[in-house]
Amino acid sequence: MVGLALVFAATNEPIARALRAAVVPGALLAAALLLDIIPGPRGRLLLPMVALLTTLSVVFLSRIEMVLATKQIMWVLMGSALLVATYFLIDDVRDLARLKYLAGGSAVALLAITAVWGTEQHGARLWLGIPGAFSFQAGEVAKLLMVIFLAGYIAERVPTSGLGHRRPAARPHAPLTPLYPPACGGIMGGCKYSAPLLIIVILGLALLISQRDLGAAALFFGLFVAMLYLGTGRKDYAVGGIAVFLAGAVAAYYTFPHAAARVQAWLNPWQAPQQSGYQPLQALFCLAEGGIVGTGLGRIPIGALPAAGTDLILAVVGHDIGLLGTLAVVMMYAFFCFRAYDIARGATDRFGALLAAGIATIFALQSLLIIGGVVRLIPLTGITLPFLSYGGTSMIINFIAVGLLMTVVRDCTRPESGRLTLSPSP
Amino acid sequence: MRELPSNITKLSLLVLLGYLVVAILLGYWQVIRAPALRAHPYNDRAQQRAHAIEPGQIHTADGQLILARHKTPKGWVWAYPGREVYAHLTGYNYRTGLQWALYQPLLGLGKYEDAWRNFLHGHPVGLDITLTIDGAAQATATRLMRGKRGAVAALEPNTGAILVLVSAPTYDPGEVLDNRITYEMFRGDPNSPELNRPLQGLYPPGSVFEIFTAAAALESGVATPRSAFTCAGSETVAHTLVKCRKASGHGRLSLSWALADSCNIAFAQLGQALGPLRFRKYVKRFHLLDKGNLSLPSKSGKMADVTASQGEGELVQAAFGQGATLLTPLAVARLLATIANGGQVVQPYLVASMKESGGRVVYRGRGQRLGQAVSQQTVADVEGMMVMAVEKGTAGAMAIPGVQVAAKTGFAQNPHGAPHSWTAALAPVGEPQVVVVVVVENGGPDGDVAVPVAHEVLKTLLQR
Repeated sequence: MVGLALVFAATNEPIARALRAAVVPGALLAAALLLDIIPGPRGRLLLPMVALLTTLSVVFLSRIEMVLATKQIMWVLMGSALLVATYFLIDDVRDLARLKYLAGGSAVALLAITAVWGTEQHGARLWLGIPGAFSFQAGEVAKLLMVIFLAGYIAERVPTSGLGHRRPAARPHAPLTPLYPPACGGIMGGCKYSAPLLIIVILGLALLISQRDLGAAALFFGLFVAMLYLGTGRKDYAVGGIAVFLAGAVAAYYTFPHAAARVQAWLNPWQAPQQSGYQPLQALFCLAEGGIVGTGLGRIPIGALPAAGTDLILAVVGHDIGLLGTLAVVMMYAFFCFRAYDIARGATDRFGALLAAGIATIFALQSLLIIGGVVRLIPLTGITLPFLSYGGTSMIINFIAVGLLMTVVRDCTRPESGRLTLSPSP
Repeated sequence: MRELPSNITKLSLLVLLGYLVVAILLGYWQVIRAPALRAHPYNDRAQQRAHAIEPGQIHTADGQLILARHKTPKGWVWAYPGREVYAHLTGYNYRTGLQWALYQPLLGLGKYEDAWRNFLHGHPVGLDITLTIDGAAQATATRLMRGKRGAVAALEPNTGAILVLVSAPTYDPGEVLDNRITYEMFRGDPNSPELNRPLQGLYPPGSVFEIFTAAAALESGVATPRSAFTCAGSETVAHTLVKCRKASGHGRLSLSWALADSCNIAFAQLGQALGPLRFRKYVKRFHLLDKGNLSLPSKSGKMADVTASQGEGELVQAAFGQGATLLTPLAVARLLATIANGGQVVQPYLVASMKESGGRVVYRGRGQRLGQAVSQQTVADVEGMMVMAVEKGTAGAMAIPGVQVAAKTGFAQNPHGAPHSWTAALAPVGEPQVVVVVVVENGGPDGDVAVPVAHEVLKTLLQR
């Protein structure tokens, strides 16, 4: 809505400049006040941050292509409705834990169906649906289902903390069901507990890689390693996970020409500035063009920039509002994730905590993977910037994820006395 | 349940670290690497943007428009009224020259952006830039350098204002229509027309460098203008065979005459007497190897390490401007300006002012004073020797009726063929207004080609 107002403000030239100055902070303040009542103290500022990012998204999409902005507004509205629906339809978020296998299974099924019947775009088969009528990105849906599965599985199978550690369990009443045996005593026994987890994760990854969606594969793997670490507290899992990831990356480099091209474009984009290096270079040129304060919102054509509205929207932000803008966006994500992790930390329930932390990790990894790609920290992959990039499925799923965070606040936090909250205490 | 929150804290800190890293990298690309990226030949954005913004224009000090904007249906484009005269200053297509270096003020961007003015005006307006360049002298120098390779640099010694900055061969930037073709064409040209020789050309200074050696020797008390030397035409100094330009030899001569008549052997001996430590000290004091602080791409001078164990041979060669000694014409002009300026080193500058379209001056350039290199007495002595060079020595052709000119000529041996021909001059002696340095690549020794250029440019500048 705020974005819509802004778009009108921007098209009406004489009033535009005056309005532009007043509309943004005013509308955001109103949004912040409205949205902040629902989630209670822990979730504070989470929704205003979403409002800020989606507003920016609409403003920048209107600057790239008006049609995208109008569509994005629709996605934001649908997403908001689904956020509210998620919040009220889920009686108790802890019930979701029981659906973990259904979630994991459907995630893999979705990816498998896409691999077979999906439609191809930009050299990767990521879309599912009836062509021309309705389609969605299966990977986006799968990532949220995967969080639910991982949170449910790890919460149940690695029920207490400390048990994944090599040192003896501190609390004798806790059942000893480690993911892997502490010493290499019983691989079979370990497999019994870890098999479903490994099967779903490996299947999901294999499907993503076969669909050449390397960014999503990295996201899934990162999420898996992070949640394993959260559940077990074992640093060796994290380190081992990173080692496996690097090995996988090297294998992908030698196996898939698509991946090799991405890596070469990352290491030396100047080598083929018109071919594989084109996209990363144009992104850097855009950032450089903006400098510290930017060239001004929509004042100068953005020029050639592939995927300007989706993967590389940060480059557009950098072009128009400069380093100040890109740093503000990074800070928004950092703040958002910090708040989301805070919700996880405050959760009284293990599943709730893991679910919230998993969602926070998804947002963190997704934003870091694509921003890191734009600034040449890592190879550029096709991943959306949450709430900022254009994309229906991604927007809706992100809103549902925020809805889940809110239910965690509602169901898994002790109500704090003296605070006004609309949420029922569990 | 105590472990999980602490794991979450650790993970969230790791994530925050990740955001910190990308934030730093954003700063790296958007601030530190931005100028280089904006000027990259594969970056078309600068031009596209230039079409949308009303840019500022560039004038010379005497009011000639050298970079003009004009509007086409496509947007704003540049015109080059000075054609090839200012090619290396204006540059082309935002890729080279001041268009590249002063791109932000020209388009009113970055720190030159006035948010309030843009708000009122509706769109940014570039700043008008005035250079210190004297248009008439620049045109004279360009005309005289036609068909040659080399550089002309002229300064106002007491301010450091650059009056002439010519690089030959040149080109007409208005004819640069397609960047990529031009870029490839220029890169392939053996005469390197795109090289801005006064700032980027590294040349052995040859005998012109004797000005420095003489000043250093006088200042450190190693010699006086009357100190005697013997020249037999060729001599081995510090295991290095030195040949004088006069094969028959000068015989017995004073330091003054050695400079006035360019005697390498005397200066080889003087360099040996000066010694590496004092030599190096004065190289630093004169800021000889300093690359300057112009916004255009410039090179620092180069010199062999005379204090090394095998350095004495190098020192002997450096004393008369040969060996590994390489300086840009602008650095030689700065050396001359130091002499003209009573020993005070002044850093040359090119941009006189930047003005908003309303006339408000937002920037005013000035030459930075870098300190006293040598005493007034020393520079007076050196000036006297250079006057002798004009009156009786090698620089006789530099004389201008009614004006006392001090000058020094030189031929610099180089691996690329005939020696480079140098002339450095300052005038009028006593209160110098102008310093001129000319180098013509492979111009000598048959006929001194640099002297007439320097003479004509000096005359033009004195008539300002």
